[in-house]
Amino acid sequence: MFKLRRRAQDGRVLEVLDLTKTYGPPDQATPVLRGVSFKVEAGAFCAVVGPSGSGKSTLMNIIGLLDRPTSGVLRLDGRDVAFGDRGQEARFRGATIGFVFQSFNLLPRLSAWENVALPLVYAGASVRERERSALAMLDRVGLSHRAQARPAELSGGQRQRVALARALIRQPRLILADEPTGSLDSVTAGEVMALLRDLNQRLGVTVLMVTHDKDLAARCERRIEVLDGRVVAEAGAAA
Amino acid sequence: MTVPPSPSPRAALRTWTQSGAEALANLLAQRQRSALALLGILIGAASIVAMLTIGHMAQRETLKLFAHMGVDMLQIHANPVGPFPATMDRAAIEALPRTDPDVAAALPLAIDRAKVAIGPASQDVGIIAVAPNLSDVVRLSPASGRLFASVDEDNLVAVLGADTAAALSSPGAPAGPGSRIRIRGYVFTVIGVLAPVAFTAMDPTDYNTAVLVPLGDAARIMATPEPSTALLRLRPGADAKAVGERLVPRLANPTSAPQAVSAQELIQSLNAQKAIHSRLLTAIGAISLLVGGIGVMNVMMMGVMERRREIGLRAALGATPRDIQAMFLIEAGILALLGGLVGLAFGLLAAFVAARASGWTFSLSAYVLPLGPGLAAVVGMVFGFYPALTASRLDPIVALRDE
Repeated sequence: MFKLRRRAQDGRVLEVLDLTKTYGPPDQATPVLRGVSFKVEAGAFCAVVGPSGSGKSTLMNIIGLLDRPTSGVLRLDGRDVAFGDRGQEARFRGATIGFVFQSFNLLPRLSAWENVALPLVYAGASVRERERSALAMLDRVGLSHRAQARPAELSGGQRQRVALARALIRQPRLILADEPTGSLDSVTAGEVMALLRDLNQRLGVTVLMVTHDKDLAARCERRIEVLDGRVVAEAGAAA
Repeated sequence: MTVPPSPSPRAALRTWTQSGAEALANLLAQRQRSALALLGILIGAASIVAMLTIGHMAQRETLKLFAHMGVDMLQIHANPVGPFPATMDRAAIEALPRTDPDVAAALPLAIDRAKVAIGPASQDVGIIAVAPNLSDVVRLSPASGRLFASVDEDNLVAVLGADTAAALSSPGAPAGPGSRIRIRGYVFTVIGVLAPVAFTAMDPTDYNTAVLVPLGDAARIMATPEPSTALLRLRPGADAKAVGERLVPRLANPTSAPQAVSAQELIQSLNAQKAIHSRLLTAIGAISLLVGGIGVMNVMMMGVMERRREIGLRAALGATPRDIQAMFLIEAGILALLGGLVGLAFGLLAAFVAARASGWTFSLSAYVLPLGPGLAAVVGMVFGFYPALTASRLDPIVALRDE
């Protein structure tokens, strides 16, 4: 069992213990999460599956420090997350977690490299550092030749690769990907997935990916199935 | 949880520099809307800049106006009380510096009009008969020749005003020192010509279009040779109003009710007039800045609503609420600063036009340059505060989900 005061093992990047979340006023509270517990080992590639309304989005938001649980413990990168100050949450989030969205969420006014460098702005990096890191990261996702292009000039697959580079630029421990291939055709989706797997294996970054694609989920080494606010099944290497 | 340390001031500065650069790009991308929001700020900054610059120039002009007679001047003028011309006693006036502690010098003047002829040329001009101590009281300087000395008292000598000298000159025969002029049958020798002087409300008549003669000669050419006006130079620190009230009864006589006007009072009334104009312009400026500020708030609110997704994204990427707030505050500040800079240009242009129209020399005080745009930027930040706060309080989940 957990020893709360002890710093968690380096092996675990994410631990969730009895997490609950209810919405609405206390007298007519709607439970969305009813006590969720699981652990994810460092370097894992983990799928989160479940029908819409099952609570998996809420779970992902809480793990991403974008939402706060009603009760329970969230431990990220070996540290208990003390929810409270939004500024502290933001700094912790920026340093620890990378986000990949279904709709890419690139800023249309900025060039590819500027989009990739955006998280570094909030880390206080100088322009030179930002550009150097962003170009290196774009090279890693195979887009260094498109560094000056605006998102509108890029294909869907290229945009998601820019978004991947952005998620990785601060070398986070954990990538939270919300249906990263949901807006892509199957060929491009395959390429983006292959890249994500490759980055996962080569950089050792842990990936937590929400997906509705059964095949995609089946190919992940771990699967967390959420239904009606509970984890109903965990497949793959159990913690 | 242990949290990455707060960014160093230098790192924060880098974040904000980037926010500033992005703000500029963003404002340029929404040129039309930004321009409309700027109109109020622009008018506000322009009217404040114009007001300050015009005020500054007006003050310089006022001081210039009083330069040749000084601000320590008191004029006592005899107003008639009956059918007879109003006069005052010359000896009583000339005794004032000795008998009143606040009077440094006193100059009695008698004023008349007469035809002045030089050869065939003649001119109807003002005649000012003055005591020889003219230059102790009025700062007149000769363009050529000299002014009166005490030996000139009844010597039939004259000093020409600048315009009079020009009018009496004929080609090849300029009127100047040594010329002989005729006034009412007496021949006067010109000993000097005055340099042009500005006419002010304190002057009993315009020196430029007059002929000055010694008061001792007045009896020969004037129907009323006794002085009707006294110009007094007061000692430093004297209360001109009190001195006037004290001296008026001493100079009163059955023919006249003297009245005192001081340069201090004139300047005060000029300033009071100016203050009304200033207040009007300040009010216009303040109202425009207010309207402009509301415009900035409106544009910023629209921007926040339209950019909810971007705000959510930035939050997800590690922007703290303070970073988001700073981003919008900087944007509002830059927006207003641009308006202030354009307003500064328009305000200076307006002041320049006003200076041209009034025949003033254009000059501006250095503090206006940063003040106009600075004030505008402050207004932008103040009115940008609420939108920035709204942005920083957006829930990133809701903002990200927003389509």
